[in-house]
Parts: sequence; C-alpha cells; structure tokens
Amino acid sequence: MSGRSENVYVVGVGMTRFGRHDDVADLDLASASVRDALGDAGIAWSDVDVAAGGTNGETKPDNLPTYLGLTGLPFVTVRNGCATGGVAMLTAANALRTGAGDIAVAVGYDNHARGAFNSSPARYGIADWYGETGMMVTTQYFAMKARRYLHDYGISEQTLGRVSAKAFANAADNPLAWRRDPLTVDQVMTADMVNPPLTRYMFCAPDAGAVALVLARGDRAFDLCDSPVRLAAISLRGRRFGSFEVFSPWLIPGDHLSPTVDAAASAFAMAGLAPSDVQVAQLQDTDSGAEIIHMAETGLFAHGDQEKLLSEGATEVDGTLPVNTDGGLLANGEPVGASGLRQVHEIVRQLQGRALGRQVPNGPRVGFTHVYGAPGISACSVLVRD
Amino acid sequence: MTNQRVVDPSLFAPDHPDCLAGARCGECGTVVFPAQDGCPRCSHRPMQAHVLASSGVVWTWTRQQFAPKPPYRPASGPWTPKAIGYVDLGDVLVEGWLLPADRDWVIDDAVRVTVVPAWTEESGDVHTFAFEHVEGAQS
Repeated sequence: MSGRSENVYVVGVGMTRFGRHDDVADLDLASASVRDALGDAGIAWSDVDVAAGGTNGETKPDNLPTYLGLTGLPFVTVRNGCATGGVAMLTAANALRTGAGDIAVAVGYDNHARGAFNSSPARYGIADWYGETGMMVTTQYFAMKARRYLHDYGISEQTLGRVSAKAFANAADNPLAWRRDPLTVDQVMTADMVNPPLTRYMFCAPDAGAVALVLARGDRAFDLCDSPVRLAAISLRGRRFGSFEVFSPWLIPGDHLSPTVDAAASAFAMAGLAPSDVQVAQLQDTDSGAEIIHMAETGLFAHGDQEKLLSEGATEVDGTLPVNTDGGLLANGEPVGASGLRQVHEIVRQLQGRALGRQVPNGPRVGFTHVYGAPGISACSVLVRD
Repeated sequence: MTNQRVVDPSLFAPDHPDCLAGARCGECGTVVFPAQDGCPRCSHRPMQAHVLASSGVVWTWTRQQFAPKPPYRPASGPWTPKAIGYVDLGDVLVEGWLLPADRDWVIDDAVRVTVVPAWTEESGDVHTFAFEHVEGAQS
C-alpha cells in the first residue's frame, strides 16, 4: 500500500449532467465527459497512454478517439451491464499496473430512451413462456426482493420512503443530478404505486449521462494532482449458486447469497481496510429497497439496523456514514454504462473536499463504491486520500 | 396438462395434472424449475424429472400495476393489475401469478397450483400455471 510507484490514482474526473440528452449523440456525450476529465487533470488526450470504456447502447466506445484524437492508443471496450463503469476502471487500472503506460482514461456512457430496459428472455437463456406470461419485468423483482428483506429483518416501509427522500434532498444541491426537487417521506410514500411496496419515487429510471476518469501511476499522479485519490482496491465478482437475481423463474429455499458480499469483502481485503474505516459510500440504489439491502451486504452496516439508522439520519451527508451523497441512482437515473463511474466521480470529489453538491464535513479520507446488476454481478472499490 | 393448450408443455408434470415439472440432481439434491439438463450447483448431469408439490406458501409477492411490455402477451380486454409472487413448494421456490389478483396477500399465505388462461389465439385459449389462495389452510 505504501510504495507510490506501484499504486494507481485518480487524478481527474469529468461528468456530463445526468438526465435527458435526446438531441446529443452518444459519442458526443462520452467525449464531453473525457474532455472534462482531461481538463480537470490538466492534461491533453495525447498524454493518455491507454483507455477503456463501455456502454450498454449500440455505439462503439473504441471509436471515441475519432472525436478526441487518433493518437494510436489502445482502447479496450467493456460491456458488463450495470458494472460496465467499474469494469472500465478496473481494466484501465490493470493496464497501468502491467506497464502499459503512466496515464489511462476510463469512460462510461449511455443515452437511454424513456422507459428503456426491455429484456428478451432468450438473451438470458430463458424460454419464451417467461416473458410471454409477463414475468420478465425488472420492477417486479426489486419489489419482491425488498418485501422479503423488510419481512426478514423487521423493517418498515417507511424506511423505503426515507431512502428516497434522502436521495432527492442530496440531489437538490447537485447541479449535475437529474431529479432535483426535494420530496418529503410522505410524498414518496403516497406517490403512484409501481410494484408494492415500491412507489414511483422509489425506483431509478433509465436516462442519459457520461463520466470519465483520468488515472495515473505512481509519482506521475502527484505531478499532475495536488490531492490524488488512491484506488486502493477494485473487485468484480459474479454470482454463486443460490443468489436471488432478476429474471429467476425459481429460487432455492433458505438463505440467498449475493455477489455484493463477495465483491465487498474482496475489496476490503485487497485494500487492507475494514468497512468501519469508510467515511463516505456510494451504493447501488436501483430502488430504495436495494440501498437498504446493500447497506448490510457490503458490510458497512448490520442487517436489521437500517430502520434505526435511517430514522436517525445516519446515512445523510452529516451523518455517521453518508451514503449516496450525490443523490444516487434514485435522483441521477441510470445510464447503465456511466452509473458506476458517477459513483467514483462523487467519492473522489468528496475525498478532495470539492463535492459539487453537499460536502461531507470533517475531511473524509476513505470512500467506497458499489455497483450491482444483472445477471448477478457486483463491483466494489475502495478509494483513499492518503 | 391433459387437453388444454399451454404456454410450454415442459412446465407441467405429465401424469400429475395439478403439479409443475421440475428436475432434481441425483448428486446434490438440488431441485430446479423448469427442468434443465445440468445441475447449476454441482454441474452433475443429467438431472432427473421431479414432480413439484401441488401446494405451498407465499414467500414474497408484489402487484403488477401496469401491463408489461412485449414479449408479454396480454389477455383480451382491458388490463387489470395482477399479483405475482414466489411460492415456497418445499424443495424449491417458484415464481408465478397469485389468484385472486386483488387479494391483500401476506407472506406465508397458503396456495395451490392451478391452470388458467393466459392469452387467447384464434384456435383458443393458451393456459399457464398460477397459484390460487387456499382458504383456511395452515402454512
């Protein structure tokens, strides 16, 4: 952990506003975020040695150099659903660690149409009847998973409302967030029901956005940046037998494992840190139930404590461990390829004391990010300002 | 499932009109639905045909308030909200529609397998499985 030269740091972050960008081409959106990140790092595209990027859409990330400069650099395309951003960062960091250069860019973007996320059974290896009878619906899954979790740990539906109210309160001060109108817990709870116990304000929605990071190795990072943020760990894990995932015609009885548990434990071990060291966190909040579940699966909090923690404001910006300080997916929406890097963007800014929205007080030094998605993958990172 | 047209004949146990057809691993005992050839836990193959229990209890549920998008095939007539859940059949939890749709379901409610029309084609109704509430049964 000590030797600067072996470490990889984030030295620049860039991000477009999240929301609707109907008139902007996907690759224009992506290149805007890269230029923003390059400007933040104070370097030119020609200084970049290697890049990795991904999207869940139809464009080719490796055609971005056409927009930024055809310098001949190797550009690796990744595509891992909700973990795409995390995998882009992992790929870029590993390229630096294996000597591919000193400076790398990781970029993720998407520009989803309204109500995107239509899934075909065949892509998941499921027979047609499952979709034809109306079971291929992601929101059903989130609602059923949340209900069972609340039941198992004695958590009230009010806590689901508190998660969303917190997200929108945080987003109100974040100029790049999508949904910035604050809502009370009561407004969240009494909104249109999508799939009970989840109302419309308890779900994120597909939208558009792009995020880019500039990574640098060793001493070069300190030449470029006054307060580089060390990528202390990043870990990607797939599901093991018995996890409770979307599009499951059946589940095993008994306890259900989650790839989040494995990815988080692996990231903390790699970083040589414990969940209790984390001072600001970003968790996958596809719905408000997911944030509650992931609070515990990551090891940051104990199962069943969420009701008390949320009611005490423990995860608010000035709480004991702030979660999703930029409004999370609930307020930023989910451009799938960009979402994981948005989390890193927010943590890096928080650790550097320059949050765009609400700044966590008292100079946090250890941050954590977590993405989770279909068909049962999770990526977690630990970020440290030394 | 006798003479009715069904969404997928492989879902139903041939000689047990009220039961779904799963598969059981002879090596580790894992039960899956629908049947598949290789065991997702221990990789052993082939798995053996296994008739699932005809009744169980609701493990979790939600209500689908809006009509799903294609490939969903709606029944004729206007959409009405449906209840869906996972039902604990003992050795496996199976996802399916819960009847009646407007019941205020509670975890551990008792249900049994039934067969209901899913959508209508020129040649007639196409049926699927569902779980209907059983009055007064103990979980």
